[in-house]
Amino acid sequence: MKKKLLATLLTAAMAATMLIGCGSSSDTNAPEKDASGDDAQTTEDGGEASDGDASASGGDYKIAVVVKGNTNGWFVRMEEGIKKWADETGINAWMTGPTDTDSAQQIQIIQDVMNQDIDALCVVPVDPAACEPVLQEARDKGIKVITHEGTTVQNCDYNIEAFDNAGYGAFIMDNLAELMGEEGTYTTMVGFLTTASHNEWADGAVAQQEAKYANMTLLEALPRVESENNTETAYEKAKEVLKTYPEVTGFVGTCSDDTPGIARAISELGLSEKVHVVGTGMPDECREMLKDGSLTCITLWDPADAGYAMCELARKVLDGEEIGNGTDLGLEAYSNLVVDESNERLLMGNGFISLTADNVDEYHF
Amino acid sequence: MNLKKITKKTEFYIAVIILVFCILVQLRSGQFFTNNNIVDLLRSMTIPMMFCVGEMMVLISGGVDCSFPAIASLSMYFVCTRMDGMFGNPLPYFLVAILLGLMMGALNGFIVAKFKFPAMIVTLGTSSLFLGIMQGILGSSEYPLTSALNALGTTKILTATNAQSGLTSELPIHFVFMVILIVATWFLMNKTMLGRAIYAVGGDEVAAARAGFNVFGTRMFIFCLSGALAGFIGVCRASMLLTVSPNNMIGMEMDVIAACVLGGVSLVGGRGGIIGAVLGTALMTIVSNSLILLGVSTQWSRVFTGVIIIVGTAVSAIQEQRRKKKLFVTVSAKPEV
Repeated sequence: MKKKLLATLLTAAMAATMLIGCGSSSDTNAPEKDASGDDAQTTEDGGEASDGDASASGGDYKIAVVVKGNTNGWFVRMEEGIKKWADETGINAWMTGPTDTDSAQQIQIIQDVMNQDIDALCVVPVDPAACEPVLQEARDKGIKVITHEGTTVQNCDYNIEAFDNAGYGAFIMDNLAELMGEEGTYTTMVGFLTTASHNEWADGAVAQQEAKYANMTLLEALPRVESENNTETAYEKAKEVLKTYPEVTGFVGTCSDDTPGIARAISELGLSEKVHVVGTGMPDECREMLKDGSLTCITLWDPADAGYAMCELARKVLDGEEIGNGTDLGLEAYSNLVVDESNERLLMGNGFISLTADNVDEYHF
Repeated sequence: MNLKKITKKTEFYIAVIILVFCILVQLRSGQFFTNNNIVDLLRSMTIPMMFCVGEMMVLISGGVDCSFPAIASLSMYFVCTRMDGMFGNPLPYFLVAILLGLMMGALNGFIVAKFKFPAMIVTLGTSSLFLGIMQGILGSSEYPLTSALNALGTTKILTATNAQSGLTSELPIHFVFMVILIVATWFLMNKTMLGRAIYAVGGDEVAAARAGFNVFGTRMFIFCLSGALAGFIGVCRASMLLTVSPNNMIGMEMDVIAACVLGGVSLVGGRGGIIGAVLGTALMTIVSNSLILLGVSTQWSRVFTGVIIIVGTAVSAIQEQRRKKKLFVTVSAKPEV
């Protein structure tokens, strides 16, 4: 009897979960269809006008950008960039994506937009490998495919990244060196010693210091600290480092949890004037610290620029322009693209930015 | 209690290990017994200690709760984001989180006590469920902390300034919560009938039932309490971090269970106590916060932590074997035929 009751309960729970799942996915589709419906109309209107002189600007393209999740602050910011590009060029480009970051839902949405007669598809894949079949399908239909944050994707015309890892590390170091007056001892913090991107950024920072800042030294006894992607651990480790090695006056943070944790340790120890930290940080999380002065600057890349760059790159591909080293996408961060040496489809900008108390309020994610 | 009796206790050996380790760090760095370092350590152990106290009670009752980080995260995330700015006083946030935690704990308790499923699997399952709700329905991401909790988080009871280096460390008010919780748990486990029931149910369920203890009720109570505590601790964590970080507590269950076992709490129930749990957590926290002081490089820190855990557990295991041997001496005195 008990077992039966439990079985019924479990089935009910499963059914409920499925219903919830379906509910949210239909929510996702609704606004997206509305949006594309409007867009279709716009194109028709614009289409007639541009029929005559379409060759000049290629104004009758339709470009869809499918992101990981359209409610996420990061992608809300990306949409601003896409809208800006659409306004500037008059080309119909719009952003869509699942409400939650969910690979299956994203693939469904890619399939939906593919059938809306688009010319180019830009994707920020949740799971790059899972997207391959549907992206191949899109290319077979003659749709140009641009990806972002998907360096491993095979079925794309180009994948564009905000920067190369070493270059971002060097950017962090330049900011840190400025705060430290280009002298003193520093150390680096990463999420885990096994996190490839964090360690490449940290290596890039160290390489930059060795090349440009002779009066700065990397803490030899402890060149790399792990924060385990945890703000609290970053805080505790930073305190320990400062107790053990009083000569340390600078930290390079790589994981977005490192920077606020280290900053809190520095301000609590009463070292705000002497010790500095620069590293990746999320505006929402660091806003208060930037304003009360415990953090001077955080580094990151602007998703709005990435959205703009994807659309512009798609247009260039559609217009048949040549893409390669030095291609200019009309934004400072993407004005001089670099092609990766081992992968000719991988393009990199220098799209990193630093946020301070003055400009952090422009970003909400 | 005389000296001989004390040296037979697991707690004694853990205390010795802690002392030796502390002296080692002091000799190596000269920084261990400084007022700011001690305050840092007390601060660091606040949250793990509170979790450990809750987990200890579950373990003693013969269960195990792997879902407390998920319960803490979900309750904390709900009150901090959905009630953001609604109250100027931190109390309502704590009350709602405790209530949510209690409900989630009750779900654990009901499944475990009613259907007698293994607690570890049930709580691993509900853990995934609760995190799923947080990520799927509440759409978790980093979030700024509401002002009432921010004010609580910046309330300090003590500021220690190192005369030599000038470094300062602050002890947040949550440390007081931890002390109150420890004292209350000691009272519950040692001075009340309910505490006896928890030990009895964990020691031998059938015997406890025959002795007149309500086994179902006791198990239900323990999981509800663990859930409610988790809700409370979740909000404490957020207010100590000064930010709402939904994934910050995930993965803490293993360290907390390890700390309990280090302190002599039995994984199969019925044995252990608050002093052991406190010492176990203290050892874990001190080790993980002294590796840099000790000069252990990042590459080797995990090896070092692992060795300390194994040595510590070995001490309590050997102690337990000795105790059992003594129990059996009289029984097996007669040779087998």
